[in-house]
Amino acid sequence: MVNKSDHEIIPVHEILKLKEVNELLESKGITLENIPKIFESDPQCQKLGAKPGHVLKIQRNDGGNRYLYYRVVVEG
Amino acid sequence: MQAEVIDNVKFGIVSPEVVKKLSVVKLNVPDTYNEDGYPIDGGLLDQRLGVIDPGLICKTCGARAKTCPGHFGHIELVRPVIHSEFSKIVYMLLQSTCSACHRILLGNEDVQSLREKSKGIVALEAEELSSEEIAEHKAGETDQKKHAGRSLLKKVRSIKKCPHCSAIQNKIKFSSPTYFYIGDRKLKPDEIRDALAGISNDDLRILGIDPDVSRPEWLVLDALLVPPVNVRPSITLESGERSEDDLTHKLVDIMRINQRLAQNINAGAPQIIIDDLWELLQYHVTAYFNNETSGIPPARHRSGRALKTIAQRLKGKEGRFRYNLSGKRVNYSARTVISVDPYLDIDEVGVPFEIASKLTVPFYVTAWNLEKARELLARTEYPTILNLTSTDGKRKRIIDANREELLKELKAGDILERQLVNGDMVLFNRQPSLHRVSIMAHRVRVLPGKTFRINFCVTPPYNADFDGDEMNLHVPQTLEAQAEAKYLLEVKYQVFSPRDGEAIITNNEDGITGMYFLTQDDTRLTKEEATYILGIAGIYELPAPTKDGTYKGKDIFSLLLPKGLSLDIKTSLGPLRIVDGKLIEGVITKDTYGKGNNKLLLKIGMDYGEDALKDFLFTSSKLSDAYVTFSGITVGVKEYMTDNAIEKARQELLEATFKQVDDKIQQYKARKLESLIGYTKRASLERMIIVDLNIAREKAGEVLIKHVSSKNSAMQMARAGSRGSIFQYEQMSMFLGQQATLSGGRIKRGYYTKRVLPHINPGDVRPSARGFVRTNYYTGLSPIDIFMHAVGSRGSEVYKALLTARSGYLYRRLSNALQDLYVESDLSVRDTGNNLIQTIYGGDGISSINTQFMKLAAKADK
Repeated sequence: MVNKSDHEIIPVHEILKLKEVNELLESKGITLENIPKIFESDPQCQKLGAKPGHVLKIQRNDGGNRYLYYRVVVEG
Repeated sequence: MQAEVIDNVKFGIVSPEVVKKLSVVKLNVPDTYNEDGYPIDGGLLDQRLGVIDPGLICKTCGARAKTCPGHFGHIELVRPVIHSEFSKIVYMLLQSTCSACHRILLGNEDVQSLREKSKGIVALEAEELSSEEIAEHKAGETDQKKHAGRSLLKKVRSIKKCPHCSAIQNKIKFSSPTYFYIGDRKLKPDEIRDALAGISNDDLRILGIDPDVSRPEWLVLDALLVPPVNVRPSITLESGERSEDDLTHKLVDIMRINQRLAQNINAGAPQIIIDDLWELLQYHVTAYFNNETSGIPPARHRSGRALKTIAQRLKGKEGRFRYNLSGKRVNYSARTVISVDPYLDIDEVGVPFEIASKLTVPFYVTAWNLEKARELLARTEYPTILNLTSTDGKRKRIIDANREELLKELKAGDILERQLVNGDMVLFNRQPSLHRVSIMAHRVRVLPGKTFRINFCVTPPYNADFDGDEMNLHVPQTLEAQAEAKYLLEVKYQVFSPRDGEAIITNNEDGITGMYFLTQDDTRLTKEEATYILGIAGIYELPAPTKDGTYKGKDIFSLLLPKGLSLDIKTSLGPLRIVDGKLIEGVITKDTYGKGNNKLLLKIGMDYGEDALKDFLFTSSKLSDAYVTFSGITVGVKEYMTDNAIEKARQELLEATFKQVDDKIQQYKARKLESLIGYTKRASLERMIIVDLNIAREKAGEVLIKHVSSKNSAMQMARAGSRGSIFQYEQMSMFLGQQATLSGGRIKRGYYTKRVLPHINPGDVRPSARGFVRTNYYTGLSPIDIFMHAVGSRGSEVYKALLTARSGYLYRRLSNALQDLYVESDLSVRDTGNNLIQTIYGGDGISSINTQFMKLAAKADK
């Protein structure tokens, strides 16, 4: 069986360390509430073992543009 | 008082207790005024319900008409009636509960599983769960609830015997709006109320009703809440006669029947008479809530007009919501028809004097401009001051009688309202406002006449034309708004489209034709001609003359260009070279001057700024218009006349094409046609034919270019890109070509045996049998061609209508969803709640409006 979450078109997800999360929130002047959400049941969360409250850093690659995206893990 | 944040809103049903609590008076006289014209106590205009006549004092709150908020009263109905707007819910409840024990007609296990499934927020809150647990339930809630309710009703319908008390269930019939029957026996509202009252709170929760705010027996009305008089004001006609509101009329009806019913009951009248009156009361109450309830005849006014009752006031386009609440009107605005004025700058708007003298701009009086303010206030002729708001907040209209006096009292802090004058920044808008350039800031130019006037160059962003279009004008009132208009919305900043960075405010049509003519290699103007057109454009210098004393068109054009501008590009009509602000080679066409990806405007905009660009656009449009008016251009049937040479070329082209196609068909029939990859033999043939026919069309254009004189006006406009295209010329002088269907293929059916018309043999795949029109508009179409053309036209018309409707709605939804997003200074995209939408705008931080600049700069670097 192919593991879809390892497919090359899935951007790289990783769990941010608490320090990094705080830095992110501070630099953007926001709280966790303001970050887009991702369900705990999402394959990427499952794979990483991310729990509600964790923030994922996603390295997106759209048409040659590399940029970072963040999502906070929520229940569901 | 401190402002509180609303975190939830809950709707429920008003209980009889609440009605009595809200009510300040019980009404019992079914009338309004007595003979003296005085409101009757206990009547529908009882003074305790509030007052609307100025001078009178409200008997409940003691306030006058302006400040009294109005107070509710109530009518006690001697017999209960069903609230017609809820009869469907009543029916659902009656169906799903036992007629004897009023429990849900399901066994305990079923009830238990339903209870689990349909646990609403209400139930969860009751169980005192934490907010997280409730949130968890919320997500899946709506779906499950709907599902639970639907499957419940389905199950219950087949149950004949109550699983709890074993009572036999009779089918209940419902006839809208408010009649319920068991068999032939009509259920009276009081019976229904008893049945509803018997349902337990737990059972209601399963059924999706929150019993704390909505007990179902409250759906059967005992007491009717009567809205205050403010809600249904009476009007005094000129004759002194009073005319009551529709709601008052209906309430009078209700009270009259109510009174008659009471009298009959007290007199011990026969049951039939009482029942009839009871039904009549039900009818009136139903009509009072909604006079368009299906199943009842609408209650009418004496004139025959249907009464506007509560539902009619709220519903639909002209109802309270869409008309009064969503459709708020705006002050300091004007609307009229638009027309053109090429002598107005592109960032100006011509405002009729009539409008300018009514719209106002605030003038804030300070210690430093007191003198100026006095001067303004003293004026009796336009521009004058219309209003004065003094520091105490009182606003006065300035008239000749009070001007002197107010002049003396004028002090810093006052606000004067000055008439609109030349140079004021105003917002100009044309609906539909689909993109940001649908609203731009213009400078006012007060003009005689009754229309708004704009420069022709600014029509594309508004998508405006002058066939009767109307536009709106708004005057920014605060200094902040004025500054914002001036520095963000002004026309000169909007020349390049926010969509793709291409020029959107440009010269058009004849304006491009003019430039095309002016910049031809052989254009020569005499000194007289040159000064004439340059004078119109407002240029007061001449280029160096040629040896014979004339002036080259290209040199005259060069006067428009900023000094030092250099550009070397390719256009559809060969290279275009500008060196140091002089046009050396090439002609100006739409490619370099018109809408779209336009290097000339881009270069000026990038290197010389928006003021130079605005200036170039305005001056060049005047020059171009002057020259095209001077040189003249006309198009008539003459331009499309065909001579023998063209006709011969047409015939040859068509014959050659048809022969090619016929050869392919023969090959196919002989099974010798080689199929294209991925296509069947038959599909390959079809595709090859289509390719051949497309090639024929392209060749037709070449034939025209070869044969038609370059002085032909239509051809010149097509080359310049100002109006019309070679393809349209082809349709008029060569042939219409293939008529396509919606799916993009050739027309192949319509008549019932796999052919388009009975004149065509089934299985004929030749061009003429499948909608290829070989005739043109000039010579006229043959009957079959006309039919084919009509098929194609209808198809494209229908397609266009569907496409615009669909894409318009799609765009509307999208722009509404995104309208409050903005780019923060760190280039991230946020919404109004400071939520992070994107970490960097568009993934690359690039603003589309600058993309063309970027390309040009990158090219220059190379």
